[in-house]
Amino acid sequence: MKVTDIVEKIGLKVFSGHEGLGKEVTGGYASDLLSDVMGHAGSGAVWITIQTHRNVMAIASLRDLSAVIITCGENPGDDTMAQSNEEGLPVLGTDLSTFELAGRLYSLIG
Amino acid sequence: MKPFRADLHIHTLLSPCGSLEMSPREIIARAKGRGLDMIAVADHNSTYHCELTVTLGIEAGITVLRAAEVTSAEDVHSLVILPDEASVISFQDWLDLHCTHMPHNPDIFGDQVVIDRDENIIREINYFLPAALNATIDEVEEAAHNHGGLFIPAHIDRPAMGIIGQLGFIPDDLFVDAVEVVGMAGDLLYPVIRNSDAHMPEHIGRRFTDYMLENPSFSELAKALRSEGGRHIIQHGR
Repeated sequence: MKVTDIVEKIGLKVFSGHEGLGKEVTGGYASDLLSDVMGHAGSGAVWITIQTHRNVMAIASLRDLSAVIITCGENPGDDTMAQSNEEGLPVLGTDLSTFELAGRLYSLIG
Repeated sequence: MKPFRADLHIHTLLSPCGSLEMSPREIIARAKGRGLDMIAVADHNSTYHCELTVTLGIEAGITVLRAAEVTSAEDVHSLVILPDEASVISFQDWLDLHCTHMPHNPDIFGDQVVIDRDENIIREINYFLPAALNATIDEVEEAAHNHGGLFIPAHIDRPAMGIIGQLGFIPDDLFVDAVEVVGMAGDLLYPVIRNSDAHMPEHIGRRFTDYMLENPSFSELAKALRSEGGRHIIQHGR
């Protein structure tokens, strides 16, 4: 399944990194501690978080993640979106909570 | 110039997690007893005990710096140490502006009271002080510096509520005056200090830093963090 399929099926907002919408999604990881994601998220995973700091992009790219989904209606900062565009690594958004989104995502790709 | 011993992260009873014994008077007495030359009171997102502690410090002959332990939107704790009374007043306004007024339950988290010099309760804070502000860490850093203060990410080596735990690493465009560690630091790109993060009297001075200064004061501390004019961090204790 590709990032774009998830966007369509769950109705996610695409903030930035449109170039990466064709990336293959191989799993998911939900965490708001960036040090935890840095150590544990698997390559190709979509990362669900409420953190919007630009370090999110550095860690997503370090772990070779397929996309970042920001929950609870939070918006990424301009610097986060700029980095996402530069790396072609999509930042997506939803009003759903992390719990609800993870449930829907799991039934799609789990 | 000579060495001065400082513990720049002490909570008063205003912080919900701070023991009710942590009155400014008790803090001063303990700090003197531990041989500290300079302390800073740093309550969660608030400065209401700064002036009283400064006054009691002057009377007792110990330097007290004004500070707050600020929680930014990412749940990162940072010390903001301020130069004077005027900067504290305007920094408190900035804190109030960014406060999220999360409801507080004293039965679970502990009381949040402001007292006067006779230890009468003069105010109770009814929102949860340590809750994250609606300000990013960059905005906190900017506010600290706009008020002439020092910006020091707190307990960066703790698994959570520190900048490394929450954000993975320190962004290189964040202007950090120093970092505070709990354990012993390896090689870091920033000046490193250690403080007690005391929440009860017996913790005061359990960790400290010795500085080479002309006198124990905010301006001398700022110079020491920049290694200016012979001032510097000598060593960390405990």
